[in-house]
Amino acid sequence: MALPRRLLNTFSRPRIRPYYNISLSARRLFNAEAVSHPSNRVQVYISRATDPYLNLSIEHFLLQKSPPDSVVLFLYTNRPCVVVGRNQNPWVEVNLGLLGPGRSKVVDGSGDDNQGPVLLVRRRSGGGTVFHDPGNVNYSVICPPASFDRNKHAEMVVRALRSLGVSGSRVNERHDIVLDGRSCAPPAAPFIKARGVESVRSPIRNVEIPDTAAFEEAVVAEFGAMYGNVDPEIIRVTDAETALDDVPAVAKGYAELKSLDWIYAQTPQFSFSTHPTEDDPRPRPSLPDDLPADFRAAMTVRHGQIIEVSGKGLPEESLKSTYLHHITDWRSKVDSESVGRWLNTLFGVIS
Amino acid sequence: MASIARCLRAARPSTLSRLAQVPRTRYNWQPATLRAFSASPIRDIRKYTKDHEWIDLNAEKTAGVIGISEYAAEELGDVVYVELPEEGKEVSAGDTIGAVESVKSAADINAPIACKVTSVNLGLEEKPGTINQVPEDDSHGGGWIVKVQVGEQGVKDFDALMTLEEYKAFTGSEEH
Repeated sequence: MALPRRLLNTFSRPRIRPYYNISLSARRLFNAEAVSHPSNRVQVYISRATDPYLNLSIEHFLLQKSPPDSVVLFLYTNRPCVVVGRNQNPWVEVNLGLLGPGRSKVVDGSGDDNQGPVLLVRRRSGGGTVFHDPGNVNYSVICPPASFDRNKHAEMVVRALRSLGVSGSRVNERHDIVLDGRSCAPPAAPFIKARGVESVRSPIRNVEIPDTAAFEEAVVAEFGAMYGNVDPEIIRVTDAETALDDVPAVAKGYAELKSLDWIYAQTPQFSFSTHPTEDDPRPRPSLPDDLPADFRAAMTVRHGQIIEVSGKGLPEESLKSTYLHHITDWRSKVDSESVGRWLNTLFGVIS
Repeated sequence: MASIARCLRAARPSTLSRLAQVPRTRYNWQPATLRAFSASPIRDIRKYTKDHEWIDLNAEKTAGVIGISEYAAEELGDVVYVELPEEGKEVSAGDTIGAVESVKSAADINAPIACKVTSVNLGLEEKPGTINQVPEDDSHGGGWIVKVQVGEQGVKDFDALMTLEEYKAFTGSEEH
Protein backbone atom coordinates (compact mmCIF):
# COMPACT_ATOMS: atom_id res chain seq x y z
CA MET A 1 0.00 0.00 0.00
CA ALA A 2 1.64 3.19 -1.12
CA LEU A 3 0.17 6.29 0.40
CA PRO A 4 1.24 9.54 -1.16
CA ARG A 5 1.08 11.45 2.09
CA ARG A 6 3.18 12.03 5.06
CA LEU A 7 1.73 12.29 8.52
CA LEU A 8 3.45 14.38 11.08
CA ASN A 9 2.26 13.94 14.56
CA THR A 10 3.73 15.82 17.42
CA PHE A 11 2.44 16.57 20.82
CA SER A 12 2.45 19.86 22.59
CA ARG A 13 0.96 20.66 25.87
CA PRO A 14 -0.61 23.91 26.83
CA ARG A 15 -1.87 23.34 30.37
CA ILE A 16 -5.30 24.81 30.63
CA ARG A 17 -8.86 24.10 31.55
CA PRO A 18 -11.05 22.18 29.12
CA TYR A 19 -12.63 24.34 26.46
CA TYR A 20 -16.35 24.80 26.31
CA ASN A 21 -16.69 27.95 24.27
CA ILE A 22 -15.39 27.81 20.77
CA SER A 23 -14.24 31.11 19.42
CA LEU A 24 -13.55 29.74 15.96
CA SER A 25 -16.61 29.73 13.81
CA ALA A 26 -17.99 26.51 12.40
CA ARG A 27 -18.61 27.18 8.72
CA ARG A 28 -18.99 23.71 7.29
CA LEU A 29 -19.71 20.27 8.56
CA PHE A 30 -17.10 17.56 8.42
CA ASN A 31 -17.66 16.12 4.99
CA ALA A 32 -15.85 13.02 3.80
CA GLU A 33 -16.22 13.96 0.14
CA ALA A 34 -14.80 17.43 0.67
CA VAL A 35 -11.71 15.88 2.30
CA SER A 36 -10.73 14.18 -0.93
CA HIS A 37 -11.82 16.91 -3.35
CA PRO A 38 -8.82 17.93 -5.48
CA SER A 39 -9.62 21.63 -5.09
CA ASN A 40 -9.22 21.38 -1.33
CA ARG A 41 -5.51 22.20 -1.25
CA VAL A 42 -5.42 23.58 2.27
CA GLN A 43 -7.61 22.00 4.93
CA VAL A 44 -7.94 22.71 8.62
CA TYR A 45 -9.98 20.60 11.02
CA ILE A 46 -10.53 20.90 14.73
CA SER A 47 -12.17 17.91 16.36
CA ARG A 48 -14.38 18.37 19.38
CA ALA A 49 -14.64 14.62 19.87
CA THR A 50 -12.56 13.39 22.78
CA ASP A 51 -12.55 9.69 22.00
CA PRO A 52 -8.88 9.02 21.14
CA TYR A 53 -9.73 6.01 18.93
CA LEU A 54 -12.11 8.17 16.94
CA ASN A 55 -9.72 11.10 16.61
CA LEU A 56 -6.91 8.81 15.49
CA SER A 57 -9.27 7.19 12.98
CA ILE A 58 -10.26 10.58 11.58
CA GLU A 59 -6.58 11.49 11.37
CA HIS A 60 -5.85 8.27 9.49
CA PHE A 61 -8.80 8.94 7.20
CA LEU A 62 -7.46 12.43 6.44
CA LEU A 63 -4.04 10.93 5.70
CA GLN A 64 -5.53 8.39 3.31
CA LYS A 65 -8.15 10.53 1.59
CA SER A 66 -6.88 14.08 1.32
CA PRO A 67 -5.53 15.02 -2.14
CA PRO A 68 -1.84 14.14 -2.60
CA ASP A 69 -0.72 17.74 -3.03
CA SER A 70 -2.80 19.19 -0.19
CA VAL A 71 -1.72 20.33 3.23
CA VAL A 72 -3.93 19.42 6.18
CA LEU A 73 -3.89 20.63 9.77
CA PHE A 74 -5.82 18.54 12.28
CA LEU A 75 -6.20 19.59 15.91
CA TYR A 76 -7.76 17.40 18.56
CA THR A 77 -7.87 16.93 22.30
CA ASN A 78 -8.41 13.52 23.85
CA ARG A 79 -9.92 12.47 27.12
CA PRO A 80 -7.31 10.99 29.48
CA CYS A 81 -5.46 8.18 27.75
CA VAL A 82 -2.08 6.56 27.41
CA VAL A 83 -1.00 6.17 23.79
CA VAL A 84 1.70 3.61 23.04
CA GLY A 85 3.65 3.43 19.78
CA ARG A 86 3.02 0.85 17.09
CA ASN A 87 5.73 -1.58 18.21
CA GLN A 88 5.70 -1.09 21.95
CA ASN A 89 4.90 -3.31 24.90
CA PRO A 90 2.05 -1.99 27.10
CA TRP A 91 3.16 -4.17 30.04
CA VAL A 92 6.58 -2.53 29.92
CA GLU A 93 5.50 1.00 29.09
CA VAL A 94 2.37 1.40 31.18
CA ASN A 95 1.27 0.63 34.71
CA LEU A 96 -1.93 -0.94 33.42
CA GLY A 97 -3.33 -1.39 36.91
CA LEU A 98 -3.47 2.40 37.31
CA LEU A 99 -5.64 2.87 34.25
CA GLY A 100 -8.63 1.31 35.91
CA PRO A 101 -11.17 -1.19 34.63
CA GLY A 102 -12.48 -0.75 31.12
CA ARG A 103 -9.24 0.80 29.92
CA SER A 104 -10.05 0.02 26.32
CA LYS A 105 -13.68 1.02 26.48
CA VAL A 106 -15.00 4.48 25.86
CA VAL A 107 -17.61 4.49 28.56
CA ASP A 108 -19.54 7.65 27.87
CA GLY A 109 -20.10 9.08 24.44
CA SER A 110 -19.94 12.74 25.25
CA GLY A 111 -19.91 13.13 28.98
CA ASP A 112 -17.32 14.46 31.36
CA ASP A 113 -13.81 14.04 29.98
CA ASN A 114 -12.26 13.35 33.32
CA GLN A 115 -14.57 10.58 34.41
CA GLY A 116 -14.09 6.91 33.77
CA PRO A 117 -10.94 4.95 33.10
CA VAL A 118 -7.78 6.23 31.48
CA LEU A 119 -7.93 4.62 28.06
CA LEU A 120 -5.14 2.52 26.59
CA VAL A 121 -4.48 3.23 22.91
CA ARG A 122 -1.98 1.85 20.43
CA ARG A 123 -1.48 4.23 17.53
CA ARG A 124 -0.54 3.24 13.98
CA SER A 125 2.62 5.26 13.87
CA GLY A 126 5.87 4.35 15.55
CA GLY A 127 7.63 5.95 18.47
CA GLY A 128 7.13 6.15 22.20
CA THR A 129 4.40 6.35 24.79
CA VAL A 130 2.60 9.57 25.69
CA PHE A 131 -0.15 10.60 28.07
CA HIS A 132 -3.04 12.77 26.90
CA ASP A 133 -5.60 14.69 28.89
CA PRO A 134 -8.01 17.59 28.26
CA GLY A 135 -5.26 20.16 28.75
CA ASN A 136 -3.25 18.67 25.91
CA VAL A 137 -3.90 19.76 22.34
CA ASN A 138 -2.56 17.44 19.64
CA TYR A 139 -1.65 18.75 16.26
CA SER A 140 -1.11 16.76 13.07
CA VAL A 141 0.12 18.15 9.80
CA ILE A 142 -0.32 16.06 6.66
CA CYS A 143 1.76 17.30 3.76
CA PRO A 144 3.35 16.13 0.51
CA PRO A 145 6.64 14.30 1.12
CA ALA A 146 8.59 16.77 -1.00
CA SER A 147 7.83 19.61 1.38
CA PHE A 148 8.38 17.51 4.47
CA ASP A 149 10.78 18.80 7.07
CA ARG A 150 10.88 17.51 10.60
CA ASN A 151 11.19 20.91 12.24
CA LYS A 152 9.05 23.02 9.94
CA HIS A 153 5.75 22.46 11.72
CA ALA A 154 7.20 22.20 15.18
CA GLU A 155 8.54 25.68 14.54
CA MET A 156 5.08 26.69 13.37
CA VAL A 157 3.80 25.78 16.83
CA VAL A 158 6.68 27.54 18.53
CA ARG A 159 5.63 30.69 16.66
CA ALA A 160 2.03 30.13 17.76
CA LEU A 161 3.16 29.85 21.38
CA ARG A 162 5.27 32.96 21.02
CA SER A 163 2.25 34.87 19.70
CA LEU A 164 0.48 33.91 22.92
CA GLY A 165 3.28 35.32 24.99
CA VAL A 166 5.02 32.02 25.71
CA SER A 167 8.70 32.65 25.26
CA GLY A 168 11.55 30.20 25.54
CA SER A 169 9.94 27.31 23.70
CA ARG A 170 12.06 25.78 20.99
CA VAL A 171 12.45 22.73 18.82
CA ASN A 172 14.98 20.31 20.25
CA GLU A 173 17.31 17.80 18.61
CA ARG A 174 14.59 15.16 18.68
CA HIS A 175 12.34 17.51 16.69
CA ASP A 176 10.09 17.88 19.74
CA ILE A 177 8.80 21.05 21.27
CA VAL A 178 7.59 19.56 24.51
CA LEU A 179 7.01 15.87 24.81
CA ASP A 180 4.12 14.70 26.88
CA GLY A 181 4.49 11.71 29.13
CA ARG A 182 3.97 10.74 32.73
CA SER A 183 6.07 8.71 35.04
CA CYS A 184 3.90 5.76 35.92
CA ALA A 185 6.53 3.08 36.27
CA PRO A 186 5.03 -0.26 35.30
CA PRO A 187 5.66 -2.90 37.97
CA ALA A 188 6.35 -5.66 35.44
CA ALA A 189 9.09 -3.77 33.58
CA PRO A 190 12.07 -4.94 35.67
CA PHE A 191 11.10 -8.56 34.94
CA ILE A 192 10.61 -8.24 31.20
CA LYS A 193 13.05 -8.35 28.32
CA ALA A 194 11.23 -7.08 25.28
CA ARG A 195 11.82 -6.83 21.59
CA GLY A 196 10.46 -3.74 19.91
CA VAL A 197 10.60 -0.10 20.73
CA GLU A 198 11.31 1.50 24.09
CA SER A 199 10.18 4.98 24.98
CA VAL A 200 12.67 7.77 25.51
CA ARG A 201 11.92 9.42 28.83
CA SER A 202 11.41 13.12 28.21
CA PRO A 203 10.71 15.97 30.58
CA ILE A 204 7.33 17.60 30.16
CA ARG A 205 6.44 21.20 30.63
CA ASN A 206 3.11 22.92 30.89
CA VAL A 207 2.67 26.04 28.83
CA GLU A 208 0.91 28.84 30.65
CA ILE A 209 -1.68 30.09 28.22
CA PRO A 210 -5.28 30.90 28.98
CA ASP A 211 -7.12 28.08 27.23
CA THR A 212 -6.92 25.48 24.50
CA ALA A 213 -9.09 27.57 22.17
CA ALA A 214 -6.50 30.37 22.20
CA PHE A 215 -3.80 27.88 21.36
CA GLU A 216 -5.88 26.36 18.57
CA GLU A 217 -6.50 29.79 17.09
CA ALA A 218 -2.84 30.69 17.22
CA VAL A 219 -1.78 27.45 15.50
CA VAL A 220 -4.44 27.88 12.83
CA ALA A 221 -3.19 31.43 12.24
CA GLU A 222 0.44 30.31 11.85
CA PHE A 223 -0.62 27.47 9.57
CA GLY A 224 -2.60 30.00 7.53
CA ALA A 225 0.44 32.24 7.30
CA MET A 226 2.42 29.34 5.81
CA TYR A 227 -0.13 27.89 3.41
CA GLY A 228 -2.93 30.42 3.02
CA ASN A 229 -5.81 31.18 5.33
CA VAL A 230 -8.79 28.87 5.37
CA ASP A 231 -11.65 28.69 7.80
CA PRO A 232 -11.19 25.78 10.14
CA GLU A 233 -13.84 23.13 10.02
CA ILE A 234 -15.08 22.20 13.43
CA ILE A 235 -15.77 18.50 13.74
CA ARG A 236 -18.41 18.43 16.43
CA VAL A 237 -18.97 15.32 18.53
CA THR A 238 -22.09 14.58 16.50
CA ASP A 239 -20.19 15.07 13.21
CA ALA A 240 -17.52 12.64 14.38
CA GLU A 241 -20.11 10.11 15.43
CA THR A 242 -21.90 10.51 12.10
CA ALA A 243 -18.60 9.89 10.31
CA LEU A 244 -18.26 6.72 12.33
CA ASP A 245 -21.68 5.59 11.14
CA ASP A 246 -21.50 6.81 7.55
CA VAL A 247 -17.88 6.64 6.46
CA PRO A 248 -16.72 3.02 6.13
CA ALA A 249 -13.00 3.90 6.22
CA VAL A 250 -13.41 5.71 9.53
CA ALA A 251 -15.51 2.88 10.97
CA LYS A 252 -12.95 0.28 9.87
CA GLY A 253 -10.03 2.22 11.33
CA TYR A 254 -11.95 2.72 14.56
CA ALA A 255 -12.74 -0.97 14.93
CA GLU A 256 -9.11 -1.87 14.29
CA LEU A 257 -7.77 0.60 16.83
CA LYS A 258 -10.25 -0.53 19.50
CA SER A 259 -9.68 -4.24 19.02
CA LEU A 260 -7.86 -5.92 21.89
CA ASP A 261 -5.87 -7.78 19.28
CA TRP A 262 -4.36 -4.52 18.05
CA ILE A 263 -3.90 -3.04 21.52
CA TYR A 264 -2.31 -6.10 23.13
CA ALA A 265 -1.46 -8.80 20.58
CA GLN A 266 0.49 -6.43 18.32
CA THR A 267 3.11 -6.42 21.10
CA PRO A 268 6.52 -7.65 19.94
CA GLN A 269 7.72 -10.87 21.58
CA PHE A 270 8.96 -10.58 25.15
CA SER A 271 10.15 -12.76 27.97
CA PHE A 272 9.26 -12.46 31.62
CA SER A 273 11.49 -13.90 34.29
CA THR A 274 11.44 -13.57 38.07
CA HIS A 275 15.19 -14.15 38.26
CA PRO A 276 18.20 -13.11 36.15
CA THR A 277 18.75 -15.26 33.07
CA GLU A 278 21.52 -15.61 30.53
CA ASP A 279 19.57 -13.45 28.09
CA ASP A 280 18.55 -10.91 30.69
CA PRO A 281 21.06 -10.84 33.55
CA ARG A 282 19.72 -7.66 35.18
CA PRO A 283 19.26 -8.07 38.92
CA ARG A 284 15.55 -8.27 39.79
CA PRO A 285 13.70 -6.42 42.53
CA SER A 286 13.13 -8.67 45.53
CA LEU A 287 9.94 -10.66 45.31
CA PRO A 288 7.16 -10.17 47.87
CA ASP A 289 7.78 -11.98 51.16
CA ASP A 290 4.56 -13.96 51.00
CA LEU A 291 5.51 -15.82 47.81
CA PRO A 292 6.63 -19.45 48.27
CA ALA A 293 10.35 -19.49 49.10
CA ASP A 294 11.32 -21.50 46.04
CA PHE A 295 9.11 -19.55 43.62
CA ARG A 296 10.85 -19.13 40.29
CA ALA A 297 9.13 -18.61 37.00
CA ALA A 298 9.62 -17.52 33.43
CA MET A 299 7.47 -17.25 30.37
CA THR A 300 7.78 -16.16 26.76
CA VAL A 301 4.95 -14.17 25.23
CA ARG A 302 4.71 -13.86 21.46
CA HIS A 303 2.20 -11.41 20.01
CA GLY A 304 0.40 -11.33 23.32
CA GLN A 305 0.18 -15.12 23.63
CA ILE A 306 2.08 -17.21 26.17
CA ILE A 307 4.15 -19.68 24.14
CA GLU A 308 6.55 -20.98 26.76
CA VAL A 309 6.39 -21.43 30.52
CA SER A 310 9.19 -22.60 32.77
CA GLY A 311 10.32 -22.71 36.40
CA LYS A 312 8.48 -23.77 39.53
CA GLY A 313 5.24 -22.06 40.28
CA LEU A 314 3.60 -21.44 36.92
CA PRO A 315 1.47 -24.34 35.66
CA GLU A 316 2.26 -24.81 32.00
CA GLU A 317 -1.00 -26.56 31.15
CA SER A 318 -3.23 -23.69 32.27
CA LEU A 319 -1.09 -20.94 30.79
CA LYS A 320 0.37 -22.12 27.51
CA SER A 321 -1.41 -20.65 24.45
CA THR A 322 -3.32 -18.21 26.66
CA TYR A 323 -3.38 -14.55 25.67
CA LEU A 324 -2.06 -12.40 28.47
CA HIS A 325 -4.84 -9.86 28.10
CA HIS A 326 -7.47 -12.60 28.38
CA ILE A 327 -6.38 -13.43 31.92
CA THR A 328 -8.83 -11.66 34.21
CA ASP A 329 -7.47 -13.07 37.45
CA TRP A 330 -4.12 -14.84 37.81
CA ARG A 331 -5.32 -16.53 41.00
CA SER A 332 -7.45 -18.79 38.87
CA LYS A 333 -4.41 -19.70 36.76
CA VAL A 334 -1.86 -20.52 39.45
CA ASP A 335 -1.96 -22.70 42.54
CA SER A 336 -0.77 -20.14 45.02
CA GLU A 337 -3.02 -17.28 46.11
CA SER A 338 -0.04 -15.00 46.82
CA VAL A 339 1.55 -15.69 43.43
CA GLY A 340 -1.76 -14.93 41.75
CA ARG A 341 -2.09 -11.64 43.59
CA TRP A 342 1.43 -10.62 42.71
CA LEU A 343 0.98 -11.43 39.02
CA ASN A 344 -2.29 -9.47 39.03
CA THR A 345 -0.34 -6.44 40.22
CA LEU A 346 2.48 -6.95 37.70
CA PHE A 347 0.25 -7.36 34.70
CA GLY A 348 -2.31 -4.79 35.70
CA VAL A 349 -5.24 -7.11 36.24
CA ILE A 350 -7.87 -5.29 38.22
CA SER A 351 -9.40 -7.59 40.78
CA MET B 1 1.14 3.46 6.52
CA ALA B 2 3.24 4.51 3.60
CA SER B 3 5.57 2.40 1.51
CA ILE B 4 9.30 2.66 2.05
CA ALA B 5 9.58 4.81 -1.07
CA ARG B 6 7.18 7.37 0.34
CA CYS B 7 8.91 7.44 3.67
CA LEU B 8 12.33 7.82 2.12
CA ARG B 9 11.30 10.90 0.30
CA ALA B 10 9.96 12.18 3.53
CA ALA B 11 12.96 11.16 5.54
CA ARG B 12 15.67 13.10 3.82
CA PRO B 13 14.62 15.10 0.79
CA SER B 14 17.80 17.10 0.85
CA THR B 15 19.91 13.95 0.59
CA LEU B 16 17.83 12.62 -2.24
CA SER B 17 18.20 15.77 -4.29
CA ARG B 18 21.92 15.75 -3.58
CA LEU B 19 22.15 12.15 -4.70
CA ALA B 20 20.37 13.05 -7.88
CA GLN B 21 23.20 15.33 -8.86
CA VAL B 22 26.29 13.34 -8.06
CA PRO B 23 27.59 10.14 -9.61
CA ARG B 24 26.58 7.22 -7.47
CA THR B 25 29.31 5.44 -5.63
CA ARG B 26 27.49 3.62 -2.87
CA TYR B 27 27.02 0.32 -4.60
CA ASN B 28 30.60 -0.77 -4.29
CA TRP B 29 29.59 -3.19 -1.58
CA GLN B 30 29.98 -6.76 -2.78
CA PRO B 31 27.47 -9.16 -1.29
CA ALA B 32 29.42 -12.10 -2.73
CA THR B 33 32.13 -11.76 -0.11
CA LEU B 34 29.56 -12.18 2.64
CA ARG B 35 27.62 -14.95 1.00
CA ALA B 36 30.13 -17.74 0.93
CA PHE B 37 27.85 -20.13 2.84
CA SER B 38 24.80 -19.78 0.68
CA ALA B 39 26.42 -19.14 -2.67
CA SER B 40 24.90 -21.51 -5.16
CA PRO B 41 26.58 -22.65 -8.36
CA ILE B 42 23.93 -20.99 -10.47
CA ARG B 43 23.53 -17.42 -9.32
CA ASP B 44 20.12 -16.25 -8.27
CA ILE B 45 18.70 -13.35 -10.19
CA ARG B 46 18.08 -10.22 -8.10
CA LYS B 47 15.60 -7.54 -9.04
CA TYR B 48 14.33 -4.38 -7.36
CA THR B 49 11.02 -2.54 -6.94
CA LYS B 50 10.33 1.18 -7.01
CA ASP B 51 9.41 0.79 -3.35
CA HIS B 52 13.03 -0.28 -2.68
CA GLU B 53 12.49 -3.97 -2.01
CA TRP B 54 14.74 -6.57 -3.61
CA ILE B 55 13.93 -10.15 -4.53
CA ASP B 56 16.19 -13.03 -5.47
CA LEU B 57 14.59 -15.67 -7.64
CA ASN B 58 16.21 -19.08 -7.84
CA ALA B 59 17.24 -20.53 -11.19
CA GLU B 60 14.14 -22.75 -11.26
CA LYS B 61 11.95 -19.70 -10.62
CA THR B 62 10.13 -21.49 -7.83
CA ALA B 63 11.45 -19.79 -4.72
CA GLY B 64 12.77 -16.42 -3.71
CA VAL B 65 14.16 -14.26 -0.94
CA ILE B 66 12.92 -10.72 -0.25
CA GLY B 67 14.52 -7.81 1.55
CA ILE B 68 14.87 -4.05 1.43
CA SER B 69 17.63 -2.36 -0.56
CA GLU B 70 20.82 -0.99 0.89
CA TYR B 71 19.75 2.40 -0.41
CA ALA B 72 16.47 2.17 1.53
CA ALA B 73 18.16 0.94 4.69
CA GLU B 74 20.59 3.80 4.63
CA GLU B 75 17.90 6.39 4.01
CA LEU B 76 15.55 5.05 6.71
CA GLY B 77 18.19 5.46 9.38
CA ASP B 78 18.53 3.21 12.41
CA VAL B 79 15.88 0.51 12.29
CA VAL B 80 14.30 -0.10 15.72
CA TYR B 81 11.80 -2.83 14.88
CA VAL B 82 10.85 -5.08 12.01
CA GLU B 83 7.32 -6.49 11.82
CA LEU B 84 7.30 -9.84 10.06
CA PRO B 85 4.43 -11.73 8.43
CA GLU B 86 3.18 -15.16 9.50
CA GLU B 87 4.58 -18.13 7.63
CA GLY B 88 2.14 -19.39 5.05
CA LYS B 89 0.78 -15.95 4.20
CA GLU B 90 -0.12 -15.64 0.52
CA VAL B 91 0.13 -12.23 -1.09
CA SER B 92 -0.15 -10.44 -4.42
CA ALA B 93 2.43 -8.01 -5.71
CA GLY B 94 2.21 -4.80 -3.71
CA ASP B 95 0.54 -6.34 -0.66
CA THR B 96 2.04 -5.57 2.71
CA ILE B 97 4.28 -8.33 4.07
CA GLY B 98 5.73 -6.44 6.99
CA ALA B 99 6.81 -3.09 8.27
CA VAL B 100 9.96 -1.45 9.41
CA GLU B 101 10.06 1.22 12.10
CA SER B 102 13.15 3.39 12.15
CA VAL B 103 14.10 6.38 14.24
CA LYS B 104 12.69 8.50 11.43
CA SER B 105 9.52 6.78 10.27
CA ALA B 106 7.47 3.61 9.96
CA ALA B 107 7.17 2.12 6.48
CA ASP B 108 5.39 -0.86 4.99
CA ILE B 109 7.36 -3.57 3.28
CA ASN B 110 5.46 -4.62 0.17
CA ALA B 111 5.67 -7.92 -1.69
CA PRO B 112 7.56 -7.35 -4.97
CA ILE B 113 5.68 -10.24 -6.60
CA ALA B 114 2.83 -12.63 -5.91
CA CYS B 115 4.20 -15.24 -3.53
CA LYS B 116 3.66 -17.36 -0.44
CA VAL B 117 5.77 -16.80 2.65
CA THR B 118 7.67 -19.98 3.57
CA SER B 119 9.97 -18.61 6.25
CA VAL B 120 10.66 -15.34 8.03
CA ASN B 121 13.92 -13.94 9.35
CA LEU B 122 13.07 -14.02 13.06
CA GLY B 123 16.56 -12.81 13.92
CA LEU B 124 15.49 -9.34 12.80
CA GLU B 125 13.04 -9.08 15.68
CA GLU B 126 15.89 -9.26 18.13
CA LYS B 127 18.51 -7.52 16.03
CA PRO B 128 16.69 -5.03 13.81
CA GLY B 129 20.02 -3.27 13.25
CA THR B 130 20.97 -6.15 10.93
CA ILE B 131 18.81 -4.37 8.34
CA ASN B 132 21.17 -1.41 8.49
CA GLN B 133 24.32 -3.52 8.39
CA VAL B 134 23.58 -6.11 5.68
CA PRO B 135 20.19 -5.33 4.13
CA GLU B 136 20.93 -7.17 0.90
CA ASP B 137 22.44 -10.27 2.47
CA ASP B 138 20.25 -13.34 1.95
CA SER B 139 22.37 -15.70 4.04
CA HIS B 140 21.99 -16.79 7.66
CA GLY B 141 22.57 -13.69 9.78
CA GLY B 142 21.74 -11.40 6.86
CA GLY B 143 19.11 -8.71 6.66
CA TRP B 144 16.68 -10.55 4.36
CA ILE B 145 13.05 -10.36 5.44
CA VAL B 146 11.25 -13.45 4.12
CA LYS B 147 11.73 -16.50 1.96
CA VAL B 148 8.90 -17.22 -0.42
CA GLN B 149 7.46 -19.77 -2.77
CA VAL B 150 6.74 -18.45 -6.23
CA GLY B 151 4.12 -19.46 -8.78
CA GLU B 152 3.25 -18.49 -12.34
CA GLN B 153 1.90 -15.05 -11.44
CA GLY B 154 4.97 -14.35 -9.35
CA VAL B 155 7.27 -15.11 -12.27
CA LYS B 156 5.24 -12.73 -14.45
CA ASP B 157 5.46 -10.02 -11.80
CA PHE B 158 9.20 -10.63 -11.51
CA ASP B 159 9.78 -9.87 -15.19
CA ALA B 160 8.40 -6.37 -14.70
CA LEU B 161 10.85 -5.46 -11.91
CA MET B 162 14.08 -3.50 -12.28
CA THR B 163 17.54 -4.99 -12.70
CA LEU B 164 20.32 -3.69 -10.49
CA GLU B 165 21.44 -1.28 -13.22
CA GLU B 166 17.90 0.00 -13.71
CA TYR B 167 17.45 0.38 -9.98
CA LYS B 168 20.71 2.28 -9.66
CA ALA B 169 19.55 4.65 -12.36
CA PHE B 170 16.16 4.92 -10.63
CA THR B 171 17.57 5.80 -7.21
CA GLY B 172 20.07 8.15 -8.84
CA SER B 173 17.35 10.07 -10.57
CA GLU B 174 14.65 9.88 -7.94
CA GLU B 175 13.92 13.39 -6.86
CA HIS B 176 10.49 13.37 -5.30
